[in-house]
Amino acid sequence: MEPIIKIENVTKKFPEGEGEFVALKNINLEFQEGEFSGIVGPSGSGKTTLLNIIGSLDQPSSGNAWVMDKNVAELSHKESAQLRNLHLGFIFQVYNLLPVYTVFENVEFALLLQNKSKEERRKAVMQALEWVGLENIPDKKPSKLSGGEGQRVAIARAMVKEPKIVLADEPTANLDATNAHAIIQTMKKLNEELGTTFLFSTHDEKVMQYLNRIIHLKGGEVEKDEIITAQNQKS
Amino acid sequence: MKLAFQLAYRNLVGAGLRTWLNVGILAFTFIVIIFFNGYLDGWNLQAQRESVKWEYGNGQLRHQDYDPLDPFTLTDAHGKLASAKSENLSPILIRQASLYPEGRMISVLMKGIDGNQQSLSIPTEAFQETDAEIPAVIGQRMAKSNSLKVGDKILLRWRDKNGTFDASEITIVKIFDSDVSSIDLGQIWIPIEKLWEMTELKGHATYFIANEHYQHQEISGWKFFSKEELLKQLKEIIEMKSASSSILYLLLLGIALLAIFDTQVLSIFRRQKEIGTYIALGMTRWQVVKLFTIEGSMYSLMASVLGILIGAPIFWYFASNGIGMPEYVTEEDMGITIAQRIYPAFSFGLLLGTLALVVISATIVSFLPSRKIAKIDPVDALKGKVQ
Repeated sequence: MEPIIKIENVTKKFPEGEGEFVALKNINLEFQEGEFSGIVGPSGSGKTTLLNIIGSLDQPSSGNAWVMDKNVAELSHKESAQLRNLHLGFIFQVYNLLPVYTVFENVEFALLLQNKSKEERRKAVMQALEWVGLENIPDKKPSKLSGGEGQRVAIARAMVKEPKIVLADEPTANLDATNAHAIIQTMKKLNEELGTTFLFSTHDEKVMQYLNRIIHLKGGEVEKDEIITAQNQKS
Repeated sequence: MKLAFQLAYRNLVGAGLRTWLNVGILAFTFIVIIFFNGYLDGWNLQAQRESVKWEYGNGQLRHQDYDPLDPFTLTDAHGKLASAKSENLSPILIRQASLYPEGRMISVLMKGIDGNQQSLSIPTEAFQETDAEIPAVIGQRMAKSNSLKVGDKILLRWRDKNGTFDASEITIVKIFDSDVSSIDLGQIWIPIEKLWEMTELKGHATYFIANEHYQHQEISGWKFFSKEELLKQLKEIIEMKSASSSILYLLLLGIALLAIFDTQVLSIFRRQKEIGTYIALGMTRWQVVKLFTIEGSMYSLMASVLGILIGAPIFWYFASNGIGMPEYVTEEDMGITIAQRIYPAFSFGLLLGTLALVVISATIVSFLPSRKIAKIDPVDALKGKVQ
């Protein structure tokens, strides 16, 4: 089966003072559709950089990153925006909800970009809010939400367009243990029910318990690529 | 585009006070620009209407030697027209004279005008309603400056065509009120037949006033000035005043636009995570530029709506009741016909023109900082690291 994500000799360098900082060194990875995987490692190991390249928010300095058969390194701004709009969902550490919009409008945003009809949007948004258990507060503003609620809105926003891949950058870093578990369980459930591929960047042990594959990054290199057996995994 | 407007509207309404401050100052500018221009348009229209009504008629056929700005031309600038050619024309003869109210001597222009004329609003019908030997009508300014009133008899001295002095008493039969001081100050209007008799210049005129039926054909020794030509100078003066007033409202508009520019710059800096999120959610950079630009121009659209809502009753009030001019502001001070009450004219064109000016300039100043978004790295924006 063709991998949904294929990373091929990817290196990413950033200018630093007179020289340059190598964030990723010759990375080779493949992810199959429906995986619930995580990239773990200490700060500065290159987790977020790799996620940004897969999300076509950044481009590799060398190598290729194929996402849904599209080489991120060769996409124009418009093509990468289209890829993100149609097939990728993002969940950020600080939720990144649009502050002036309500919960409903935040979730609806991605569908507005897809020119879906009002009725289609309403139906999809309410379903996404149901998935995350927030169907009762569609009119709340982000400033009135708790941390857990905020992240669940972010999950609903990422899932509402039913993307093939969801990229979650440290999604539990700002949450307490109870909320962190609840959030990961929600995502695991969506992964199982909808077959969406989830790729996390994390160093949170609570998240790792649920993953079926863990890629350990250190100093920009893959240190270990670990498949977690069902017995070791929390469900 | 619809989406950008929809999102921009949500963002602006969601931004609360910041939006309303910008909209408020822009609406104020919108009202001031319309008010000033409406005031000048009203003044212009009134000045033109009054000048046509009291002085220019439908045009003037002037003796070729007559120069209204050179009193030395008055002695010889007069002549006769064949009666066939004087159809639809009303003669006016100007001679210099001296008036002696209460023993003082004042130089005046003695203007003979047909008692039956209909081309000007000068109340010449008063000549027929009196049996005075030499009836005269004068303007309010002339009456006020010389303490004259209806019924007063004053000694008038003039020269006939041979230069011989003659004198007689005139009787003030009517005092008219006109906004056009150039037919009032230092002037007396008497029946032209009487003036012909007094000066032995039977049938002569310095110029003729054309009525609306007059069709001009070249006449040797005479030069025709159409109503439009006569009003040209007046229009130029108003345009000059309009240009100088525009400095004020352009300054005001500049301040409002600076506020929008500043808001946009600050917005891009403060909302960089939001910009990064838009891009992550699938917007192209140029869609985000468009969104921010439309947000900026929507300030002006909202300001226009607010400006019309607040301004409409103000404009209506002043258009109906006029704006009183202080008594000390005279035509001599302003160099142009000015009424004691000016009624501003707010045309549809003025509203549309101002709307276009405000919206286009707001869009430009919104676009200038917004286009920088096109160069923003979305990863830096998401981290809030854009400087």
